[in-house]
Amino acid sequence: MSAPDVSCVITPGPGGAAALRTSVDSVLDQSLRAVEALVVLPRDTDASVRAAAGTYAGRAPDRVRVLDTDAPGDVPAVARNAGLSAARGTYVLVLGDGERLRRHACRTLWEAGERTGAELVAGCWSRLTEDGAKEQEPPWQHALFPRSRVVTKLTDAPELVVRDALVTGFCLRRAALERFGARYDEDLGPGDSVFGARAAVSVGRIALVRRRIVSGRAAADPGHDLAGRVEAHRRIRELLEARGAGALREERERAFPLDRLVPLVHAFPALPAAERDRLAATAARVLPGCVPEPALLTLPPVERVGVRLLERGDADGVLGAAYALRRRGSVAAPLVVRDDGRVQWRDGEPDPALDVTELGHQHRAFGELRLMNRLTRYEAEGGGVLLEGRLVLPGHTGPGPAATAWLEFRVRDGARAVRLPVGELRRDATGISWRARADLTRLLRPVGVRDTLWDARMIVEDGPVHAVSDLFAPHDLVGPAHRSPARPRLGLLAGDTWQPYVTLKDHLAFRLEARHRPARTVRRAVHYATHFRPARKARLLLRALGRRRDRLRSRAFKISVYHSWFLRLPVRAGSAVFESHMGTCYGDSPRAVHQEVRRRGLPLRCVWSYDRSRDGFPAGERLVRRWSWRYLWELARAEYWIDNQGFPQHLRKPSGTTYLQTWHGSAYKRMGFDETRVRMANAPRRELLQRAVHRFDHFLVRSEHDVRTLAHAYRLPERTLLRTGYPRNDVLFTARARDESEGRLPRGPLAERLGLDDHRQVVLYAPTFRGGPGRRGRRRLPLDVARFAERFGDRYTLLVRAHYLEAANLPVCPPGTVVDVSDHHDTGELLVLADALITDYSSVMFDYALLDRPLVLFAPDLDTYAAERGSYFDLREKAPGPVAETEDELFEVFERLKAADTGFQAERAAFAREFGGYDRGDAAHAVVDAVFARHLSRTSRTTDPGEDRR
Amino acid sequence: MSTGRDVFVVANSTDELGGVTGWTHRTAHLFQERGHRVHTIGVHAAELTMALPDPPDYPVTALYPAHPPTPWEPQGVRDRFRIPSRRREAARVKAKRKAVERLSGIFREARPGGVVIVTQVWAMEWVGEADTAGLKVIGMSHESYDYSRASHRYRWIKSHYADLDRWLVLTEEDADDWAGDGMDNVGFMPNALAGLPPVPSPRTAKSVASIGRLTDQKGIDMLLDAWALVAPRRPDWTLDVYGAGEDEAALRAQCTGLGLDGSVRWRGRTDDVPGALARSSVFVQSSRGEGFPLALMEAMASGVPCAAFDCAPGVREIVRDGQDGLLAPAGDIGALADRLLRLTGNPRMRDAMGDRARTGVQRFSEAEIVRRWEELFALLER
Repeated sequence: MSAPDVSCVITPGPGGAAALRTSVDSVLDQSLRAVEALVVLPRDTDASVRAAAGTYAGRAPDRVRVLDTDAPGDVPAVARNAGLSAARGTYVLVLGDGERLRRHACRTLWEAGERTGAELVAGCWSRLTEDGAKEQEPPWQHALFPRSRVVTKLTDAPELVVRDALVTGFCLRRAALERFGARYDEDLGPGDSVFGARAAVSVGRIALVRRRIVSGRAAADPGHDLAGRVEAHRRIRELLEARGAGALREERERAFPLDRLVPLVHAFPALPAAERDRLAATAARVLPGCVPEPALLTLPPVERVGVRLLERGDADGVLGAAYALRRRGSVAAPLVVRDDGRVQWRDGEPDPALDVTELGHQHRAFGELRLMNRLTRYEAEGGGVLLEGRLVLPGHTGPGPAATAWLEFRVRDGARAVRLPVGELRRDATGISWRARADLTRLLRPVGVRDTLWDARMIVEDGPVHAVSDLFAPHDLVGPAHRSPARPRLGLLAGDTWQPYVTLKDHLAFRLEARHRPARTVRRAVHYATHFRPARKARLLLRALGRRRDRLRSRAFKISVYHSWFLRLPVRAGSAVFESHMGTCYGDSPRAVHQEVRRRGLPLRCVWSYDRSRDGFPAGERLVRRWSWRYLWELARAEYWIDNQGFPQHLRKPSGTTYLQTWHGSAYKRMGFDETRVRMANAPRRELLQRAVHRFDHFLVRSEHDVRTLAHAYRLPERTLLRTGYPRNDVLFTARARDESEGRLPRGPLAERLGLDDHRQVVLYAPTFRGGPGRRGRRRLPLDVARFAERFGDRYTLLVRAHYLEAANLPVCPPGTVVDVSDHHDTGELLVLADALITDYSSVMFDYALLDRPLVLFAPDLDTYAAERGSYFDLREKAPGPVAETEDELFEVFERLKAADTGFQAERAAFAREFGGYDRGDAAHAVVDAVFARHLSRTSRTTDPGEDRR
Repeated sequence: MSTGRDVFVVANSTDELGGVTGWTHRTAHLFQERGHRVHTIGVHAAELTMALPDPPDYPVTALYPAHPPTPWEPQGVRDRFRIPSRRREAARVKAKRKAVERLSGIFREARPGGVVIVTQVWAMEWVGEADTAGLKVIGMSHESYDYSRASHRYRWIKSHYADLDRWLVLTEEDADDWAGDGMDNVGFMPNALAGLPPVPSPRTAKSVASIGRLTDQKGIDMLLDAWALVAPRRPDWTLDVYGAGEDEAALRAQCTGLGLDGSVRWRGRTDDVPGALARSSVFVQSSRGEGFPLALMEAMASGVPCAAFDCAPGVREIVRDGQDGLLAPAGDIGALADRLLRLTGNPRMRDAMGDRARTGVQRFSEAEIVRRWEELFALLER
């Protein structure tokens, strides 16, 4: 046979013969035929492995070569190097233990190499998850393979050397391999990543193909060969330094703790105690000097603490950090608040790596904090058990001296719970040590069916304050030796033993097991009864019925019933359906219109639609859930539809119905058919939108700007436009009048409810919606709220209002500095409350300008946003206040808000005139006059206060 | 290595009006020229036939005389027991089996090293069932990944094409996307440029040309909106819209509504594309979706610089933005108008880009593409 295209070097490993077969089979199954498998057997190879290799060599002698070497078996590097020397292929590829080449891998690599002339061709690889059930690509691989490409500079693909990308899934041109003579480091253990990094810095061209090349790599075992890994890391650092790639070295130093050390910390609770101690000792020996201080300080706080404690060899401390990592937001150490206000993980020398001020625990009191309660001892004797543990207390808060504690056992997913008092409580400076004895057999009396799992937790009561904590235990604390007898109410046939175990979330729980023959027999019988064929059939049938039921509840079905049946119903005169922001709130202009209707006593039957929750909606009104049958029924029969965003697009409007679209704000970004996304959509989708928009009979506008933008973008005919301004803004005029006559204080009941005090000014932060349609979820706010609070906490209270489609995830801040008002239904009230506004592109800026109060635009991504979404005008040119593009600029503005603001009064007035010309404070009245004229009785026409204004 | 192979090109139809049929015969002809023995097979012969440039010098086979019936899917319980439906279905299955056997027979006559190229997804239903032992089977797609993803073809492709020897798409970017969905056998092969006009356009006429069917996909409505921004500033320029289609009336109405009747000329369908390009200086494409647009390549071959929406990887592949044409973010009318203004306002840029485009687009010349096909055949044999 002529020289093969690709030689695959395979060395046997801990996986033995089975792993070897997997790898060799995957090579023989390659779609590229000219591939050889080069199996290198070390000196002391297992006989079964040798036999397996021999079988392949016999079966496909031209494609499988077996190389017997006298390499030692425990260092695969020696065998691999022997393989590299013996390889004959144009390209050489090394497969690890049990790794499989995908079927077209060699063809892909070979083609890419030939087409691009690259000396190293690398592709994606995946490894098994911890439970071995699935494959998973390392998360940084997306950044390395955005597209297939060729790189000549490592800085274009830093992940190649920053992360351990080149450990598998790549091939090297043999000519290049011989040129620079790279070999695996024979003094390093199996986790050797130096070879790939050395190859990457030595070759000229690297082709990256976005194809999975290798799968089935063994799951990452963070505790395996720590010393070897650290040494490999050190060598790669030196290699990069020697090549003058200082920036890459620094990047690697930042990535290494996250890739290797944090997973090790994370794995700690699952390791046995001896192994934890051994690892900590190894870490203390090899880690110092490995993670430079600046790199360590770039890590998030808990990760940083974990790495630092690992470095110090503090096995118990690492266990605590692991708990804080696995249960975000819990306190796992006796935090110490120092004199300068900084918070340290625990007492001792000040150490910036142990500074966890930014977690914000210091702002929370006992009862609000989730504390680590570590179980330290578990003993079982007959039916009784002895539990000992320690509840961590941070220095700044704790229960009073009269606190009592209970152990509670609760059925998982059930309501039943039993509790017993904790006998001994000893409080000291850093926590509470406790001890409890329980007669498990008599205390826990399960029925025996559906309540076989019980969770344990502890409750500390101090007057009205309760602190609940699960019992955290390392996984080896309890085992088969700690069983207790059980007495289910159904009798011993339902189960006979309590087995304590540690859950995946690391807390103590109990499982009812069947250990003795009678119970085991019953279990088997029950299992058979619930799993044999008729039972399976029954389950399938039930599932099918469920699917059918779901179909009857689906929107598609409801829409068809709505169109074919509901629309035939006669319209009920005087009935109106209100909806604001697709049912998420009771607010905005529909609310203002509704209140005006009520105030003037119009005989209308009003119905409000709500989505998800009724909270915040007026109790006395008729409420219907969005998309319920009742909702569709009301819509089909309503004489008026009033909404600010759009009733479901697919629903046709009944012929006798009037649709008042109040709309939810003037436009800065392009909307409707001016929006790129809509323009590029296919014709049916655009028609759907157009039909939905053509349902509007009245559309409120605030200025000619709205006519030019919104009305044009949605192709609304002139006759639908009502030039009244927004009813929601009427309150702003009232507030402004009050400002001018009596000043802003006192602030009123809402301020009291939010806990705002008078000596701090109120700043409302209301950024715009960033996501596309349908994507809900928590997103980072553009503004670092905690930094704002830290700097201005004594002067300003920040109200944060995320967009109604998003929810903000706010960091913990000192009390009274940051308040989340995203749930508040009426933005108008918040605007009135705020002494200043920060926003970016949200339409609240148009409304707030009417109040003539300071307004700051914080738009860090102004240019990209305007380029991506498109805008109707240049924000910088027309801005009603200072435009800050960085956080520092924003803070600068707030340092001297008054001075910054005085320069903008003229601009603000012009802005309010241009974008809110029709807003005069009587919009609700005018809208009711225009839309509900038919229902206005003579009395309500004469008694209104708006009359004399005209 | 062009010592003749047996190459079977399988399409939905042998002579249906459309781009793929044109591609099929053009490619078949090229392979024939290179000494391969080509056999073109269509699932059926079409009623609306396409005028082929010259009678093919290779065998053409249609498996069915007309479009075969679609598989029967019982609608409700009653239909399940309807005997005529069942008999029709049985007849369809029988006819299909016969067609597959005929196809297998054709394939079996091939000598070693033969290749089957399936140009369309539907035809794969027959090839997949036929006996292709000893042959390499290549599946092809003539649309972008996103376009397939949005259609029912996506699942079909994933289940039927994953086991082929090669799944060819138009660009490397599309290939990467398919690979991300687990199609490891994916490769890419651009369409070939049919021919290079001997003389490039003089680029003297003040005319912007658009060539394409007047359907929603081609986005002429957006072009008119963009032109409404351009026309007032380029009063001496005209927009020449070549092509016909279902949306013509609506588009003309839109044109009148925008007051563009003076500067837009509706030229109707043309068979003389190089001639039309010779009469214009700028080419514009405002499509909502594309594969590997031939019109764009033809314009560039005529030395006419292009302004286009960056709506698919194929467009990015053909036009290197800023070098031999200008791309605008898809759907951004202001940006497209801006590109048109830049091209119409600057004759030197037009000339430079046009010349570069004419040279650059030759990387998709027929000779080059055939060379890549030969490479692919060799790769599949290794």
